[in-house]
Amino acid sequence: MPPFFKYKKQKGHTDQSKDTRDSENHHVPELIDPSLSVNLDIIKQKTGHSSDIIVRTIITGNTPLHKASVVYVDGLVDTQAINDSLIEPLQTNHDLLEMLYQQDELDKFTKEFISLGSVHPVTNWDELFLTLMSGDTIILIDGSNKAWSASAKGGERRSIQEPSTQVSVRGSKESFTESIGTNIAMVRRIISNPDLWIESMKIGNVTRTDVSIMYINGIAKTEVVDEVRKRLKRINIDSILESGYIEQLIEDQTITPFPTIFTTERPDITAGNLLEGRVAIFVNGSPDALLAPALFIGFFQAVEDYYSRYDIATATRFIRVLAFFISLIGPAAYIAITTFHQEMIPTQLLIIVAAQRDSVPFPAFVEAIIMEIAFEILREAGIRMPKVIGSTISIVGALVIGQGAIQAGIVSPATVIVVAITAIANFATPSYTVAISARLIRFLFMISAAVFGFYGIILGFIMLVVHLVSLRSFGVPYMTPLAPFIPKNIGDTIIRTPLWAEKLRPRLISSTDNPVREGENQKPTPPKSRGMKKKNTR
Amino acid sequence: MKRKWFLLFLILTTTSLISGCWNARELPDLALVSALGIDKNEAGKYVGTFQIINPSYVTGGLQGGGGGQGPPTTVYSSTGDNIYDVTRRLSTKSPRTLYYAHTNLLVISEDLAKKDGITNILDAFERDFEFRTTAMVVIAHRSKAEDIIKTLPPLDKVAAVNVIKTLKNTESLLGEEPTVNLQEVIHYLVSPGKEPLISGLSLKGEKKDAKKVTNAQGSSTPKARLEADGIAVIKDGKLVDWIHGKTARGTGWVLNRIKSTIVNINWEKEKAAIEYTVVRQKTKVTAHTKKGQPKISIHIHAEGDIGEVSVPVNLNDPHVLRKIEIEVEKTIKKDVHDAIHRAKENKTDTFGFGEALHRSDPKEWNKLKTDWNDVTFPKLEVDVTVEAFVRRTGLRNKSYLSELKNNR
Repeated sequence: MPPFFKYKKQKGHTDQSKDTRDSENHHVPELIDPSLSVNLDIIKQKTGHSSDIIVRTIITGNTPLHKASVVYVDGLVDTQAINDSLIEPLQTNHDLLEMLYQQDELDKFTKEFISLGSVHPVTNWDELFLTLMSGDTIILIDGSNKAWSASAKGGERRSIQEPSTQVSVRGSKESFTESIGTNIAMVRRIISNPDLWIESMKIGNVTRTDVSIMYINGIAKTEVVDEVRKRLKRINIDSILESGYIEQLIEDQTITPFPTIFTTERPDITAGNLLEGRVAIFVNGSPDALLAPALFIGFFQAVEDYYSRYDIATATRFIRVLAFFISLIGPAAYIAITTFHQEMIPTQLLIIVAAQRDSVPFPAFVEAIIMEIAFEILREAGIRMPKVIGSTISIVGALVIGQGAIQAGIVSPATVIVVAITAIANFATPSYTVAISARLIRFLFMISAAVFGFYGIILGFIMLVVHLVSLRSFGVPYMTPLAPFIPKNIGDTIIRTPLWAEKLRPRLISSTDNPVREGENQKPTPPKSRGMKKKNTR
Repeated sequence: MKRKWFLLFLILTTTSLISGCWNARELPDLALVSALGIDKNEAGKYVGTFQIINPSYVTGGLQGGGGGQGPPTTVYSSTGDNIYDVTRRLSTKSPRTLYYAHTNLLVISEDLAKKDGITNILDAFERDFEFRTTAMVVIAHRSKAEDIIKTLPPLDKVAAVNVIKTLKNTESLLGEEPTVNLQEVIHYLVSPGKEPLISGLSLKGEKKDAKKVTNAQGSSTPKARLEADGIAVIKDGKLVDWIHGKTARGTGWVLNRIKSTIVNINWEKEKAAIEYTVVRQKTKVTAHTKKGQPKISIHIHAEGDIGEVSVPVNLNDPHVLRKIEIEVEKTIKKDVHDAIHRAKENKTDTFGFGEALHRSDPKEWNKLKTDWNDVTFPKLEVDVTVEAFVRRTGLRNKSYLSELKNNR
């Protein structure tokens, strides 16, 4: 880019920002005025006379016409609570208020009248608008240069529902909602411990979104907590609309198909990860919590692994890892075998495949790409499509693309089988985010298989492994505990050892001061006596 | 920095394009050779016969195909001065590249094996990276290799599969056909202490009908069929003799290649009255030298069941069982002696006695190995001991025959 162009753009940018800042300073004074009418004017002006800003002015005294105003945003507050605990006491206790006015002790007012949870005084406008817009109710009293902000948040929110993506047969059936307070409370309900610490901040210059980080003091690594805090503080952006915004702005490496931050919609997964020493990040308006640092193997750990017995958990996890590999190299292996290594499959199978491919006009690679792309389109359409016409897609998908293409001789049934198995295998990965990356990498594997055969697949694999090993999530190597190899933590990877055998929290993630998570001799054993008889003799 | 990345990207992409899709072959461009036959014509040139699988006629049904519409295999043949010449000359006839990785059967004609020997032709197969050295080698007995390749058998649509299954079946149920693959044949050809044995295969019935589709269809009794027929004895690369039946089985005993076989024994003048099925067998061949004379001892341990009796015997009686065992031992011993006798007549050590001597006394072996087959082997002293054991008598102890006898 020519340098003069850059310079010009930079100059324009700075000028503009300066202008807006000046105009802001000009219109809004910093401190609250004693006059109620001035204050109300400022509020109206600043909010552009928005119709959802409700101002109720109440006459609070008889002889000198004292006024007070209650300001709130319609829909963000619990109107019932405001009526009962704010407006009514102001209207009925005229005498008392009069006394307070005369004694000039309006601070007492909050203690005497308002029966809401938290009330605190506000003196400058920035703070006033911040609390007002996040759902607090503002009380302005004529003659006072202080306002009071009372918390009576409410309004319509989605209720707690069953998880939709991280489903399990066993275990709790609740998932996070869009409300950050509800989400934090759900985790707090699971971990009833004062060491569960929460830090809140507001991110987004325009949206002022509530973001909280949650960790267990003493289990989480201080370095990781500091790093999370530092990265969140660094964010300077207009809007945070979803946890995905935060994820993209704080992840370690952006040029990778693999997620380095774990997302979950389940409180129990969040609690489990907090107990391993991870840090959770909640974003208001997002039903997903972010968990960091994330490990590659973590994306294969479903909640049910920990709720079901270890042998079953190990078997299912093994299947999951296998399915991930199939979803990566399924079509690639098919291409490699049919175009390079025909000697690798049994004669009878080769004859069957050859018979199907005899009448197909395309090379195996083109055929597989056609089917893969057709499937990806179907899948994408299935997500975006209105639910009412959802059945159309299954008819089109199954009949036209499946049966029709085979009967027309455009693709061979073997290719359809391979693509179908790959698609199903892709859904076996418990984490949607890592399943998507497998979808993406699959195409690269297909190309390398079409060019070099199995040699190309192995090359691709080597590159993939090198890439995975180079990744880090908040300073922790992505492939821990496989690389670097930590034998003590290997019990929760491709296999899952029994709970009584997993004595230590994962190293490199949790604090090193306090690594033991269970006592000695946790393995359950039957009683040494034959039960009944011995009890009777006692 | 950006420039550097761009260059790297360019280099990577172009290199991958330069190499192209090396060695990539689509399935419809390949002709899968299932079996290969080698003959020699009157002009002294090699004739190669290639059995090529016609995939859509083998599987049938799906699209376009339909099992009955054509023969499951197609045969091409060509002539040349050597094997490679033969295979390359076939390109003038075949629309597809021949693919040998699934060739499981190599048929050599009897004439070729007798006159010229098999030594010269095997190198091409061993050297080629596509051809598998695990392909089974057979010799066409009383017919040309070409005829065998052209036959369309009824059960397994691909003739090569049919032949391999037949031979393996014979080996595992009857113990008469110790099958060999290319690798083993070459190994034994090279080894001075053991000569190769190659299974024989013959075309029985009306040879004219063998190559018609109607041979495998339209009639419950195929007019022509392929049968395992004897074992070819190879000496110095040339076919010298065919051995059949009990001699072949005796050879199997010595070679420790009996998986299961039948031994019929006589009982009180009744011929082949009791049938003994061998289920487990172990043969130990040991060599030792006594006063400069090599001596071989063979110890055979056989274990089996009583499969059938046609005389009333009381199988509850351990004495009777012991008697049966002794009879079995005698029969096996006789078969083995017959086989050794035949081998001595042929002056061909097919049993690997030379290799056994090599292992036990390498110095003595080095003295003897040059004349082993012609001088030492025919005079070799061989001591055979057999130990048979009746493990089970089937579902019946006493046959209903004894009850019939009592009633009379």
